[in-house]
Amino acid sequence: MKPLKIGITGVRGIVGQTFTPELAVGFAQAFGTYLDGGRILICRDTRPSGPMIRSAVLAGLLSAGCEVVDLGVCPTPTMQLAIKWLEADGGIAITAGHNPWQWNALKFVRADGLYLNPRQAEELLDIFHQAEFTKATWDTITQTIQYRDPIEHHLDVLSQAFSSPTFVSQPQVVAVDCCNGACSLLSPRWLERLGCEVLVINNNPQAPFPHQPEPKPETMAQLCAVVKAGHADIGFAHDADGERLGIVTERGESLSEETTLMIAAEIRLRQQLGTIVTNISTTSAIEQIAARYSGAVVRTPVGQTYISEGMLEHNGVIGGEGSGGVTIPEVQLTHDSAAAIGLILQYLSRSGQRISDLVEQLPRLSVLKHNIAVEPNRLYSVLQEFRESVEGEALGYDNVDGVKVTLPGGWVHVRASNTESMIRIIVENEGAGGARQLLDWTLDRLRT
Amino acid sequence: MRAIPTLKISISGVRGVVGDSLTPTLLTRFAQAFGTYIGPGAIVIGRDPRTSGEMVKQAVIAGMLSSGNRVIDLGMCPVPTVQLLVRLRRAQGGIAITASHNPAEWNALKFIGPAGLFLDSGQAREMLDIYHQGEYTKVNGNEIRTIEEFAGATDIHLQTILDVLGPLPPTPRPVRVVLDSCNGAGSQVGPKLLEALGAEVIPINVTPDGSFPRPAEPLPENLGELRAAVKMHHADIGFAQDMDADRLAIVSEQGTPIGEDYTLVLAAMYVLSRERGPVVANLSTTSALQDVAKSFECPIFLTKIGEVNVTDEMEKQQAVIGGEGNGGVIYPRINFARDSLVGMALVLHLLAQKGQPVTELMKSFPSYSIVKQKLVCPSHRVATVLKMLREEYAGYPVDARDGIKVMLHNGWFLVRGSNTEPVIRVVAEAGSDSEARDIVAAVREKLEA
Repeated sequence: MKPLKIGITGVRGIVGQTFTPELAVGFAQAFGTYLDGGRILICRDTRPSGPMIRSAVLAGLLSAGCEVVDLGVCPTPTMQLAIKWLEADGGIAITAGHNPWQWNALKFVRADGLYLNPRQAEELLDIFHQAEFTKATWDTITQTIQYRDPIEHHLDVLSQAFSSPTFVSQPQVVAVDCCNGACSLLSPRWLERLGCEVLVINNNPQAPFPHQPEPKPETMAQLCAVVKAGHADIGFAHDADGERLGIVTERGESLSEETTLMIAAEIRLRQQLGTIVTNISTTSAIEQIAARYSGAVVRTPVGQTYISEGMLEHNGVIGGEGSGGVTIPEVQLTHDSAAAIGLILQYLSRSGQRISDLVEQLPRLSVLKHNIAVEPNRLYSVLQEFRESVEGEALGYDNVDGVKVTLPGGWVHVRASNTESMIRIIVENEGAGGARQLLDWTLDRLRT
Repeated sequence: MRAIPTLKISISGVRGVVGDSLTPTLLTRFAQAFGTYIGPGAIVIGRDPRTSGEMVKQAVIAGMLSSGNRVIDLGMCPVPTVQLLVRLRRAQGGIAITASHNPAEWNALKFIGPAGLFLDSGQAREMLDIYHQGEYTKVNGNEIRTIEEFAGATDIHLQTILDVLGPLPPTPRPVRVVLDSCNGAGSQVGPKLLEALGAEVIPINVTPDGSFPRPAEPLPENLGELRAAVKMHHADIGFAQDMDADRLAIVSEQGTPIGEDYTLVLAAMYVLSRERGPVVANLSTTSALQDVAKSFECPIFLTKIGEVNVTDEMEKQQAVIGGEGNGGVIYPRINFARDSLVGMALVLHLLAQKGQPVTELMKSFPSYSIVKQKLVCPSHRVATVLKMLREEYAGYPVDARDGIKVMLHNGWFLVRGSNTEPVIRVVAEAGSDSEARDIVAAVREKLEA
């Protein structure tokens, strides 16, 4: 079966196969109909299919009578901020985030700059499937407005949230890998504004992705080399659209993407006590960090929209996911890797600590992640069978999102991906051997 | 009663009402079908100033990129500019986004092949089959080509005309022209061209903002403002373009529309005075064109109705000039397309060369009157009616390639079924208006008998 995923995170597929211009036109018409015209911002990442999808989205939105402001190539969080600032009614980000270049997707943002929540996403899907869209007539249809440099506003908001760091000794040397993605246009400017000495790689938005746009140790080898060669104090790795962040220490060690939120949470709770919002698939080190400062943790299903809603509901001081996405409410209630960079660099420069010192102080847990590709017509059955087998063994489980089983010394989370036809398994244990055992225990009970 | 359909998918393209039948999905699919049909390569696109132009353009670009084509976007420009640039840029094809003379709520796609000619009926049918099959070429993300915004197209068009025809020869005083561009695609390049030729230009309706100051078809009844302006400014001539700047109508120095049939006649007079060669027009064209061709001892060939039939025959006959009686002038030295810019340049050159007012020039060939009428006739009856007429007029020379054209002793008439409506169209021409009306009346009588 061919990959296409239409769900609460939008519509996502492979260009040339399932993600056709008609599909993009239809979803844009549905979104324009859903918002009843109004002002809509669009942006895109640097994927080669971006201009094609952009044209399709423009046609759909204009046809639905929207006033469209095109921000061009920019990070998704930049567009999300601009929605409030330009008083728009919504936005569409054309980006498949961390997926490989073959993919593209539409992500739908509402007037407060946050993603549609699951209920709203369902409403949008109903309109899409019903296919009776608002159609502007010749005397109401409008032209697209091109907006230059939305990034400047993002930089201003970031600067306000993280006043220029007062360096303990000398300016920090920061290496950054923009993956030739949308952050090529934001991250170097932000680091320069922070007064850092910047070693930037892969910042050509016209060039293909040099590696998977998913910040994790496997994709950060080049960044590690640059950190070491340039004697950088820290290295940052971006995904394609500015949500997820990966970190390399000054020793040139790449950290697991799970560590990004741990670092950000540790820094944040040292500054301000409060609630951490994260998903149920993220390391329980978060609870351990919260416990150090008597903070609370709220666990949500997997997906950025749930983190945003959790932050709103529980007035969280920081949110994020084990995938490397961090939400800092002073900037906005959605993942923003530039905000995470600001938080970390401000802390390092004020405290005079090295990033590796901070990592040393984090709880040590062993996390294993494993994905199993499953035919789309079996995806939820596989999950249901796993749940039944766990029930059969009379084990307690949590089914907020998939099945999460807590076992002595660790836990297992099995769920269906929101974006691909895949079962994602995450296990965590105090030791590497224990994690491996937990994964085997899980695989024994999964019949794909 | 069933609602009147506003969507027309035919061999001349796809046309419909925006906000109703002409949806972005339909447009994207057509662009994909066209890209799939013509294969990889560049496609030139241009649009008229309709308010829906941007939406239509984006839908078309998405489809073409998806099928692996490179896009050269000329922005707002005349249809003949798109056709010219397809040839000059050696593109694989072109799409003109315009519903020509239809009202503001309409828009359409017209498909252009590699030589800058519209797809002929066979090619258009092939493309329509691909559209209906719905299986389009889809390239992977990394094979998606670029969009080139090409702003200089109308300047190239203008320069091509100047290079071939040159500026107007010196006259005692500059030729004074009123140009009515109908706020259409010719609004910017039209006045620029006339100035570059050395004429004095008084432009009206040159704000291409999607509004229609008058019905777009340059018919005599739509040219009131132009007629008044010609008289008020004591101009030598008035020109009227349509929305996509392919057709041209002329108003004399007395403020009288000369009839769109005569635009081609005047253009041919100038071309043939400089270069002898075959002339091509369709069956429905005024006999004055035959008279002009004859006076220069040049052969004339008449084709079935339809621009592509004329251009095909022009290629075959190596014609030096051709066109249609609706104000479409085709001058192959510049452009194998109906081109109002070329038409204006040719007619102004004629004025400067002859040093006579338009009214005088019109006296250099016999005057004719054309009468056009529509008669209601169900489409299944058309063949019977034509057969009956053929028998009735068996004693006269008959041309039956497109409906039936009968040459009478004092004129001719043409009867053909419409492709778009349940009517038959009757066109008659004779030396005077009353004679032409008599011919139509006689034909009607036979049809209604």
